[in-house]
Amino acid sequence: MQLLLEQMVNGCAIGALYGLFAIGFGLVFSTLGILNAAHGCYASFAAIAGYYAATSLRLPFAASLVAGVVTGAALAILVDQIAFQPLRRRGAGMLGALITSIAFWMILDSLAGLATDQQSLSFPAGTFPSAMPMLGTLPLPAMQMIAIGGLIVVTIAIHWLITHSRLGAAMRAVGWNETAAQLGGVNPRLVILATAGLAGATSGLAGVLAGISTNNVSFTLGEGMLLKGFAAVVVGGYEDVRGAAVAGIGLGVAEVLSAQYISTSMRDAITYALLLGFLVLRPRGLFGRASFLRA
Amino acid sequence: MNGTPMLALSGVGKSFGGVQAVSDLSFGIERGAVAGLMGPNGAGKTTVINLITGLLAADAGRIVLDGHDLAGLAPQDIASRGIGRTYQNVRLFSGMTSLEQVVAGGFLRRGTSMLASFFGTPSARAAMRRTREEAMALLDRVGMADRAHSLAEALSYGEQRRIEIARALGARPKLLLLDEPTAGMNAAESQVIGRLLHELRDAGLTILMVEHNIRLVSDFCDHVAVMSFGRKLTEGSPAACLAHPEVQEAYFGRKRASSSESESHAVRSRPHG
Amino acid sequence: MMQKLLDLWAAYESTLAFAAVNAFFALSTYAVMATGILSFATVAFAAVGGFLGAQLMGQFGLPLWLVLPASAAGGCVASLVVSFVFLRLESHWLALASLALILITRILVLNAPMLTGGVNGLSVPIEAPLWLLLGLLAVVALAFWRLSVSWYGIAARAVREDPAVAGSLGIAPRRVQRMAFAVSGALGGLGGVLLAMTLQFLSPETYYINISFTMIAAVVLGGSYHWMGAIVGALVFTALPQIMQALVPQVQDLARGVALLLIMILLPRGLVDPRAWRIRRALREARR
Repeated sequence: MQLLLEQMVNGCAIGALYGLFAIGFGLVFSTLGILNAAHGCYASFAAIAGYYAATSLRLPFAASLVAGVVTGAALAILVDQIAFQPLRRRGAGMLGALITSIAFWMILDSLAGLATDQQSLSFPAGTFPSAMPMLGTLPLPAMQMIAIGGLIVVTIAIHWLITHSRLGAAMRAVGWNETAAQLGGVNPRLVILATAGLAGATSGLAGVLAGISTNNVSFTLGEGMLLKGFAAVVVGGYEDVRGAAVAGIGLGVAEVLSAQYISTSMRDAITYALLLGFLVLRPRGLFGRASFLRA
Repeated sequence: MNGTPMLALSGVGKSFGGVQAVSDLSFGIERGAVAGLMGPNGAGKTTVINLITGLLAADAGRIVLDGHDLAGLAPQDIASRGIGRTYQNVRLFSGMTSLEQVVAGGFLRRGTSMLASFFGTPSARAAMRRTREEAMALLDRVGMADRAHSLAEALSYGEQRRIEIARALGARPKLLLLDEPTAGMNAAESQVIGRLLHELRDAGLTILMVEHNIRLVSDFCDHVAVMSFGRKLTEGSPAACLAHPEVQEAYFGRKRASSSESESHAVRSRPHG
Repeated sequence: MMQKLLDLWAAYESTLAFAAVNAFFALSTYAVMATGILSFATVAFAAVGGFLGAQLMGQFGLPLWLVLPASAAGGCVASLVVSFVFLRLESHWLALASLALILITRILVLNAPMLTGGVNGLSVPIEAPLWLLLGLLAVVALAFWRLSVSWYGIAARAVREDPAVAGSLGIAPRRVQRMAFAVSGALGGLGGVLLAMTLQFLSPETYYINISFTMIAAVVLGGSYHWMGAIVGALVFTALPQIMQALVPQVQDLARGVALLLIMILLPRGLVDPRAWRIRRALREARR
């Protein structure tokens, strides 16, 4: 029982990272209609930036988080303008954007590899909180609590932004029909940049936290997050950040429990089986409304 | 020319979400006739064509071609029963020459199996030669033989429209559905199309055309149905339809005591759709 | 001197071999793209053909002339199963589902050690000689030429350009696409066993994301509107990193990514573009 509870907490913590990443990935997917294969790289680079902030610049933990978030946002905006903006002008659809994002995935993964000299780096002790408060007999590692707390805060904040703010309304309008949004007085350029930046920031946050928690600051970090984040977005529903968050946690828990009680090599099986199942049977996800896919 | 019509719609209805695009529509087209389908924008005319060709499934009613119910048939099966069509916005295949478009149109009459065509057997090659000759003949019929090797994108709108008609004729359909064939054309070009359609009718083709061009409809159609807001307003000879007060209301925005006007009277206002 | 020439040949021979194998994967992807479908499922077909072929060679000692068709057939059966599910999906979901299929393939490979050697991999006893790879590629190229000039090719172009209009001409889009999947499956399976024979060792990562990138990049770069584009693209995309390897070793993946990006932005229809030829020819004729 003790083990089960500990694994549940583990699962929620890992799932929180998946969820955080998925929120960013899903924002781009649902608002801009782009499946961005390079999105995982934002997380990798955020982790790398956080690492160097903590080690070379010896900045405190909060600063490494900020470094990661800012790096993620900046990279996302850069990639959007170089890769996707020319395609938007040409009217190329989602599939053209997917292929271009694959090109950027190759480029950014190489650069990340060069940045870490093909190694997997670890945040040294002392650069992040390692307290372990206990809830009765249940250990609650600080990093895991930060991850879960971060997911809750970010989910609430972004959901509020989308549903209650003018920027959020603009994001929904642009995602649906850019020309109509323009006619309604929204500046699509600004909205696209804001969306990309926000998506990069969220995934960047996931990246730094994951880099710390899994002792893996390298280009493989982003790849793993991308696949899980993609699954969470599809299963949870790409239209609502809450769906992505819930699905992320669900997948994390499912993964940890199946690794524990079935076998480690089946760990990813459940995730990908759910992914394929939902794509084929219910593409709008658990929480999505039936609507047309914007291209 | 009485008896069972070639194409009969009875009680056909179609809605999208909450919008009833077509409701309780019934009319028939006689074999060998040139029929017109008129109505303001949004009246549901293109929807009717999409229902007949199987692109959409009707919610209610029946569509019967020569005694066969077309319900549930896929578009390609309806095409193989002898219905061809053109589109409101010309939809030629991009990147293909005029000849290639019309050859593609001859798919149903290719006269050889896919396998033989792959291996390039003598009979398959002969069949392809025949298809190309027939395609050139069709291009000649629509007056585009000299542009046989031009890419679709290089042609003018009127020329593209004629290629589209030639392509639709490639399968030698018995019924040709034309969706606004003279849209965007001037009077001279429209007359060319009209004469072409008459020649086709004389050669045995049955035609249904959706048209706004009142002059064309009066000159070339034997029989007209007028739609408004998804329903049939009236049906009959062009003159009778155009004299109908509700048709006048819908097209000219005012009630007129006398019979049909030509379009030398400017249309002052178009209502609703 | 002789030794230097032999060394040079050895280096390029292997590049040519990999380029030929990649050409099979690219052609497999092109086969469905020619009917308007973007699908990464070739990777799964390759896995089926590769592991099936490796087992037939290793466990049963069957000769090549039996193993190769068996692998192609295996890939074909897999593709028919896949197409049954996938052809019900809208094009975007189909592409994504095919990506998910790659992920699942690796999991299945990991968890079927009897068939695939699981985590430890599987060694492949027979090596594929270069003449065999190039010879098979030539036969496949001939077949693609025949397909493109036949009624199948005409129907496929119509379905790709405008499936609704194709339907109104009596062409059944789904049927054409199913045929395309069958071709894609056979080529994927064949390519899979040829890759196995070139690498001589299979791991769970062999039929995974790396191949999917290479094949999609090859088709896009080479030209997604002509079968020759797939072959040209495979050659360029395989040779490029080798050349980079000789010059600046670290940046070979970077170079591939940049090449793909430049093509997508500047020349989206790829290097081999029949429409560009036609337009140029038309302009030349107009000037006369």
